Order: sequence, then structure tokens, then C-alpha cells
Amino acid sequence: MTKKITYNQDELINLIRQRNQKAFTFLYDNYSKALFGVINSIVSSQEEAEDVLQNTFVKIWNNFESYEESKGRLYTWMLNIARNLAIDSTRSKHEKIKSKIQSTTDTVYQKNNLYVDDTAHESIGIRAILGTLKEEHKIIIDLAYFEGYTQEEISKKLNLPLGTVKTKVRQAILTLRDLTKKEFLQ
Amino acid sequence: MKEHEVISSGLLESYVLGTTTVEENELVRDLCIKHPSLTDEIELIEEALINYSAQTITPLNKELKNKISDKLFSNTNTETEIIPITKTDKTIRLYKLGIAASIVFFITSIAYIFYLQDNLHISEVNSIEIINAKISAEEKVYEQQQSLNALESKLQILSDPKIKTVGLKGMNSLASNSALIHWNTESDAVYFNASKLPATAAGKQYQLWAIVDGKPIDIGVIDLVNDTTFQKMKSVKGAQSFAVTIEKAGGAIAPTMDTMCLLGNV
Repeated sequence: MTKKITYNQDELINLIRQRNQKAFTFLYDNYSKALFGVINSIVSSQEEAEDVLQNTFVKIWNNFESYEESKGRLYTWMLNIARNLAIDSTRSKHEKIKSKIQSTTDTVYQKNNLYVDDTAHESIGIRAILGTLKEEHKIIIDLAYFEGYTQEEISKKLNLPLGTVKTKVRQAILTLRDLTKKEFLQ
Repeated sequence: MKEHEVISSGLLESYVLGTTTVEENELVRDLCIKHPSLTDEIELIEEALINYSAQTITPLNKELKNKISDKLFSNTNTETEIIPITKTDKTIRLYKLGIAASIVFFITSIAYIFYLQDNLHISEVNSIEIINAKISAEEKVYEQQQSLNALESKLQILSDPKIKTVGLKGMNSLASNSALIHWNTESDAVYFNASKLPATAAGKQYQLWAIVDGKPIDIGVIDLVNDTTFQKMKSVKGAQSFAVTIEKAGGAIAPTMDTMCLLGNV
């Protein structure tokens, strides 16, 4: 499950620029599941998610000239492509999936104070690694990570102070980092 | 901004999540150059997020990797290859059109070459004809010039008041013919003037005689060139008559009386 990065980002970027098949293999092996998880949380079916993932890799490969290292991480760039294609896909199908997810997360957040709704997590498509990740953290991470909400937008949406959102995002990611470490140790 | 302040600000998380502004991205880049350990922090955040979303409940279709790989590295796949294929079709169509155009051009060129060769041949023939025509025209001009000169000299000769013209009557073989002798009584010059004299037999020639005191004097053979003969003969004095006989080519010393064909008295 855990993919130890064996190329540093610069080496990988150079290989992609050369359209080296090894670069694709590395990208797919290391990032396909993560991108698929994001896509799957936005679109409504597995089939659609696979189509979007495929289009994501094609776009990464064919539009790589538009990636600028100075403007962000390679993974962040790929993440943006995946998110945008997933949202486009749902729009093109006239599925208002974004609002659907929003209403789901709203519901989850509202329920959060009462109890943890496991089916809600499944609807987003992420296996529960909960127990360690608090529900409130999960909701904030999902909004920021899967739907590309800025911290200001999350603040407005959840009616939380911006400082709180920042702290919660950081805490949530720190928890995830701990989980990653634990998986390494296993 | 100090390292730990950056780390605790949440900026790096937003940076990896892709929710930072352009200015914030530049800030992060500059901070990473100042504090290289921030890059390690960023990589840890990224790794955590990747591991998180990779834990999807729906397993990823194992065929998908090959499908995408085929799409990226071979041109034989179907479906979304429709666009390139259409392009190829267009290209092929263009090539076909190009080839067809080339063939038409080639055939046209060949036809034109034959046409030109034909024309060239015709114009070669034409040129020869033109040259010939020119030559014959020049010849004609020359001939006419000559005959004009001859006429002029004839006129000059004949308009001389000292010229005496003697008519010769045809007899025997030249019974239907006639001729004139123009004789300048002062200079003694004699001109033979006849038209449409029949050609002599091979090896024979007309010869003109002047009869002076009953004796025939040879005043030259006649060269039949054209229809009209106007020839200066040898000069003679005191001739009473002129006669033409047919002699061997080059002339005879004495006339053969049997072959006399023209005769006239002064």
C-alpha cells in the first residue's frame, strides 16, 4: 500500500519530460490509487471514476509542458487535474454530485456531534482509518483534499473561525502522518 | 518567518492540497530555498495525503494500468483513438488527393511534352518550309531582278536608234516559230531574240549564221535558258541575211543546210 518514493521529484519530472515509459509506470504505481480515491469521492460510479483516472493520466502525459515546478508540487498539479476532470465529468452527466457530496458531508458533520456514521464515509469512498482520525478532521480533510476547498471556504461552510480550520487541517494531516509512520513500522 | 512558524501556520498543508494562491506558492518556494528542511516537511504532508486517499474501498481495476499505458505508448488502441484515426484518415485523404493530383499533373505533363514535341516537329517542318520558301522567294527576286536587268538592257539595246531589227521566219522543224535579230549597224553588235524555241536533241545546239556576200559566217551558238532567249552574239559587219541551223553542240565550222530552221533577210 505504501509506495516509498524512489525517484526524487526532479528526476521524475525529467523522465516525464522525456516521455519515458518508466516514468509512467512510476507515476501509476505511486499515485493512481491516491488519485482514484479523490476521483471516486467526486463521481458516482466506479466505471466513471476509472474513465476519469484514465483521462487524468492522459492529460498529465500530454499536457506536461504546462506543469511548472516553481508553482507547486507535481502531486498537487496532478491532484488538481484529477479533481477538475472528475468535477467536469459529473457536470457533463448533469449530476449535481458536488452538491450531493456537500449535503452528505453537511449531514455527516451535523451528525458528528451525535455519533460516527460509517456509511457516510463509505459513500465518499474512503476506507475508515478512523478510530484514529477524528470525524471532524476527516470532514475538513475531505473538503480540502477531495473538493479543493480553501481554508477560507471551509471556514464559511462549516461556520468555524479560520484559525480553527487551519489548526484542524494541520492536526488532521499530522494524524495521517502518524498513521503512515505506523504502516511503515508494520 | 521562522521555520517552526511556517510549519505551524498551515501554509504547507494548503500548498500540498493545492488551495494556495499564486503569491503563497511563491512564498513557499522562497521559504524552501531559505530552509531546505521545509521541503522534507512538505514531502511528509504529501505522503500522508497520498496514503490517505489511496485507501479507497473500491479496488482499482488491474487492467486499467495496461489500458492507459497502451493509450499513451501505442497508437493501436481503439475508442478515444477515434480522433487521431480521423486525423490519420484526413491525412491519408490529403495524401490520396495529393497523389491523384500528382498523377493528373504527370499525365498532363507527358501529354504536353508530346504536344510540344509534335509542335516542335511541325515547326521543324515549318522552318524548313519557310527557309525553302525564303530561298525560292530570294531566287524569284533574283530571277526577276535578272529578268528586269535583261529587260532593261533589252530596252536600252532596242531603243537605240541605230538598231536594225530583222525578222527570221521559221522553216522545216521550226515552221511555226519565229525570231528576231537586233543588229546595231554602228557597233555591229548582234542580239538574238526568240521565244519558245523547242529544245534541241541531245548533243545538238542552235547556231546563228550571218550571210555576208553570200558566205555564211558563224556568229555563235544559242544557249536556250528560258522560254525567252535574248542573247548577245558575235559582232558582224555587212550581213545581208541571218540564218539558224541545228548543229552539233558547241557549233560547226560550216552550216548544215538541211537543218536550217530560221531565216531572214536584212
